[in-house]
Amino acid sequence: MSDILNRRHFLAVCSTACAALLVPTRGAWARPIAASPALPHPTPRPGITGAKVLTAEQLADKPKLVALFNSVRQIPEVVDGIRCNCNCTNPPDFYSLLSCYEGQGMARDCVICQGQGRLAVRLHAEGKTLDQIRVAIDAKFS
Amino acid sequence: MIRTAMLLALFFLPLPLSAQVRASEVGGVTQMIDGTKLSIEYSRPRLRGRDTLFSKGDMRWGDTWTPGANWATTLEVSKAVKLNGHPLPKGKYSVWMVLRRNADWTIVLDPKARMYHMNPPDSNASQIRFAARAEPAPLTDVLSWSMPAIRMNGGTLVFEWEHWRVPIDVEVEPSLVTTLSAADAAPYLGRYTWTELDRDGKPKETSLFTVTHEDGTLKAQYTPDDPYFRKFALVRIAPDWFAPGVYDKKGVLYEVLKPEMTFEFARESGKVTRIVLRDEDDHVTSTAVRKP
Repeated sequence: MSDILNRRHFLAVCSTACAALLVPTRGAWARPIAASPALPHPTPRPGITGAKVLTAEQLADKPKLVALFNSVRQIPEVVDGIRCNCNCTNPPDFYSLLSCYEGQGMARDCVICQGQGRLAVRLHAEGKTLDQIRVAIDAKFS
Repeated sequence: MIRTAMLLALFFLPLPLSAQVRASEVGGVTQMIDGTKLSIEYSRPRLRGRDTLFSKGDMRWGDTWTPGANWATTLEVSKAVKLNGHPLPKGKYSVWMVLRRNADWTIVLDPKARMYHMNPPDSNASQIRFAARAEPAPLTDVLSWSMPAIRMNGGTLVFEWEHWRVPIDVEVEPSLVTTLSAADAAPYLGRYTWTELDRDGKPKETSLFTVTHEDGTLKAQYTPDDPYFRKFALVRIAPDWFAPGVYDKKGVLYEVLKPEMTFEFARESGKVTRIVLRDEDDHVTSTAVRKP
C-alpha cells in the first residue's frame, strides 16, 4: 500500500498516457452492455426504404427467415423508428432495428432482433401506431 | 534533457503492459442486477506475511484508507442504488474506509474517483458516508472484493482482507412491479383451458391454468403441476401483458422470464376471455380459453 509514491505515480501516469496512445478509441463499435429503458428510440430517417434489407437470395442459408425479412422490408418507416434491445455489438453504420436486417446485421442470427421485428410486423398489421409499437417493444424487450 | 529523452522513450517504446509485475495487481468485480451495473476496480495488495496488518501493522485505527492500493478503489453504479440503506446516485466514486477498533467502520464514497491512496479526502458534503460492520473472518491473503450473494433486487458486496470482512448490502431500483391491486387483478382471475402448441401451431397437450390473486400478486399455476413453475407470479409489463416470475423454495422471486415468455390476455367486450403465450421470437407457443 505505502509503496514509493514517486515511482508509482510516475509509472501510473506514463502507463495511462501510453494506453491512451496505443488503445484505439471506443465509439460506434461499442454499445452499452446493460439494456436501459431510458434510451430513446431513433427517429425514422426521412425517405428511408427497405431496399437494403436482405433478400431471399442473401438468406439462402436461412430460408425460415425470408418471410420475416420480407415483412420488415415492407415497413421500413416503422422498423427504422425502433431501438434494438439485443445489446450485441453493432456495426459502425448502425442506426435502428432496421439496420439489424441489412448487410451483416444481427437479425440473421439473433433471436431478440428477430423477435422485435416479428412483434413490430404483427402490431403494425393490427393497426398499432409507431408509438404503441415502441411501448410494446419496451415492455417486452427493454 | 536526459529526463525528456527518457520520457519520450517511455511513450514510444511498445511497452509490454500486460507483463508488468506489481505488488498489487489490478483487479475488478462487475455485477449486473436487474439492469443496474456495479463495478469495483481496485489494486489488490497481498499480505506478504503481514497477517497482523490491522492490529499491529501499517493500518492504524482511526485512519481513512482506501480498501485497495495505489490509485483509490473505485465503485461505479449505472443507476441509483442503496448501500446499507443509504441512497447512492448513479456515478463513479473513490472508496474509502474509516477503520475503528470497535469494528464499526465508516464507508466513505467520494465523487472524486481518481485519487491516490496516500491522499485520502477530507470530509465534505459531496461524500456519501455510512456505517458498515467489520466482522472477524478467516485469513484472506489477497485483498478481495466480491459479490457472493445476489437476489432479484440487490445483493451483498463484500470486502475481505487479513482477518476482516465487511459486507455491504446493495439494493437496486427494481425494473418491474410485482404487485397488483385486487381491482386490477380481478379481470384476469379464473380458470382457463390451456393448450400447448407444437412448432407448427398444432395442439399438443391440454391442461388447466388457474389465475389467482394472493398476497397482492397475480399468480398462476398449471394442473397438473409444472415442477419448474409451480405457482408463479404474473408480473405486469404492459396492459394485459404479463411475464412469469418464478419463486424459489423459500417463496422468494428469483427470475422473471422476460422476454422469453409473454402471457397476453385478450378481451372480448371488455372481459378477459383468452390468453396467448408468446416466446421471445413472438411465436405463439400456447393458447388458453376461459372456462365457463
